[in-house]
Amino acid sequence: MPDMSAIANPQQRQFNPYAENGGTILAVAGADFTVIAGDTRQSEGYSIQTRYASKVFRLTDRAVLAVNGFAADGNMFVKKVKQRLEWYRHNHAKDMPLRSIARLIQTMLYAQRFFPYYVYNILGGIEEDGTGAVYSFDPVGSYEREACRAAGAAQSLLQPFLDNQIYFKNQTAARGYSHPAHLPLPDVLSIVIDSFTSATERHIEVGDGLEMYIVMAKGQTLPDAVTNLLPEELPSTGDGERVFVLKRDLKKD
Amino acid sequence: MECSFALTGKDYVIIAADTTAARSIVKMKVDEDKIKTLSPHLLMAYSGESGDTIQFAEFIERNIRLYHIRNLYPLRPQSAASWIRRSLAESLRSRSPYTVNLLIGGFDTADESPHLYWVDYLGTMASVPFAAHGYGSYFALGLLDRYHNPDGSLEEGLDVLRRAINETAQRLVVAPGNYIVKVVDKDGTREIKL
Amino acid sequence: MSIMDHNGGSVVAMAGKDCVAIASDLRLGAGAMTVAMNFEKIFPVTDRIYLGLTGLATDITTLRDRFRYLVNMFTIKESRSIEPSTFAHLVSSTLYSRRFGPYFTEPVLAGLERTPSGGFKPYIAGADLIGCLNFAEDFIVAGTASDKLFGVAEGLWEPDLGPEDLFETISQTLLNSVDRDAYSGWGAIVYIITPEKVITRTLKGRMD
Repeated sequence: MPDMSAIANPQQRQFNPYAENGGTILAVAGADFTVIAGDTRQSEGYSIQTRYASKVFRLTDRAVLAVNGFAADGNMFVKKVKQRLEWYRHNHAKDMPLRSIARLIQTMLYAQRFFPYYVYNILGGIEEDGTGAVYSFDPVGSYEREACRAAGAAQSLLQPFLDNQIYFKNQTAARGYSHPAHLPLPDVLSIVIDSFTSATERHIEVGDGLEMYIVMAKGQTLPDAVTNLLPEELPSTGDGERVFVLKRDLKKD
Repeated sequence: MECSFALTGKDYVIIAADTTAARSIVKMKVDEDKIKTLSPHLLMAYSGESGDTIQFAEFIERNIRLYHIRNLYPLRPQSAASWIRRSLAESLRSRSPYTVNLLIGGFDTADESPHLYWVDYLGTMASVPFAAHGYGSYFALGLLDRYHNPDGSLEEGLDVLRRAINETAQRLVVAPGNYIVKVVDKDGTREIKL
Repeated sequence: MSIMDHNGGSVVAMAGKDCVAIASDLRLGAGAMTVAMNFEKIFPVTDRIYLGLTGLATDITTLRDRFRYLVNMFTIKESRSIEPSTFAHLVSSTLYSRRFGPYFTEPVLAGLERTPSGGFKPYIAGADLIGCLNFAEDFIVAGTASDKLFGVAEGLWEPDLGPEDLFETISQTLLNSVDRDAYSGWGAIVYIITPEKVITRTLKGRMD
């Protein structure tokens, strides 16, 4: 006699391969620099797993990638992108250009179309023509180049603020004047810090720490106002683009 | 499927409603008048659940009439629409809510102005320059946005209505074949052949 | 989609120095379809109190009518106009009286409260759909763009803004928030309440 109770009382079990680890990321492109930032809180539900987990990673001397969403997928994805960039370096004896990294990321994300990396990516850095650039992606690889983008838990809080402060949306320039196409670095850093303090205030998944990566175009130096903030310079391979990191504390409650 | 359109113009409101009474996929009747004249200067097009529509419309019709008899003057369009809305809002949280959507068009003889109200079964009311209910709204509202003229003549208004009806006939699979069109202005209400 | 999002719309209120502001968008929708672009969600309660209502439009209208009746009765019985803090509790108890079959609306109110010394103090408050009050010193947001409003308001607002600066702050907050919300927009209306007068301004936005 077979076990009838198993037939009479069917049970379903489901393994959920994804989690959502909160946090938020943000990037702004300037004329000859790019700022890529992310908070360092990693949470699951109401629990904080760690107060310091980086979401922003340097890929090359001129490319920085921020990943947000499911942390395990994010870390794995960064690892694989870095591996592909290393192979490229071995094959071509140079770093992959930013726009090519963007296309590579699309290909890698779309390769997982039916079991996606559950991450939103923002790639920031310097293009070959020396301009600052931000590329934003969805989990399956749709991407576009923009001047600024927020993603993650507090995207809805930050993006309209950036529309207003970076793109000057809903603001009319005084007669005879026009809004600048790109803001200077100290202004961008102020807006980024304000954005994260706001998000920390109103979103429980954002806080603890803030990491801001600054990528400067070749030959560009940091303005004094930024040098005074004592950013750490990451070692670079040549005399090209330079990457700096600025860290700030955010509220921990 | 049921479609109704309405628009205001200079000193008038036009309301159009299809004439089909359907049950499931079957047309039971093709000359049903679904626009009631509630008072000398007030029209109401109704659509929705078949039993509810007539029951609710007649309830409204009799009560607006009662007000007119008792007070010797009719309710103004704004007040009538507000009372009808309240009836639907109270019905929504009753044991058996009426599923009826309305377009209420009237001419206020006190200040000589046309008024049109879009009202749905939830009791949502909006004062609008033009309106539509049913699948026809997906086609009509865009055209009305483009072509409606709040100061247009009656002929101009009817031309815009024709556009809306023709577009619906051309693009909607389940478009109704016939419409009744009524107008309300300073001379009262009347039916118009398109 | 939640019943609270069916008709769309957003309201924000902010406190300033001896003044308060309250603003809303003007859209009325039925799901994704826009029905009207002139649907006001903020109503005068007294000449120093304005009430904003977001959520289900039928309940916005019903509650507007109901509060008008209740405030009229209060004014007649007490022979004085109602104070913002009293009205806030009237809103709360009216909503809580429908605890298990609620009105699907989140109110926001802005007013100037009379102080014992005869001056006026900014007073803003919000509540959830069953009347849980939220008194804030800075700003209150509600509606389909509430998360966006939180982000922008937190970034733009600062204490002790004068009437004109408060107008600019609340307008920019609302406009930039509704531009990122499909269910809110189609212009806005702003009220600035000062002890002397109420300034009403209608804004054009992206209109899409």
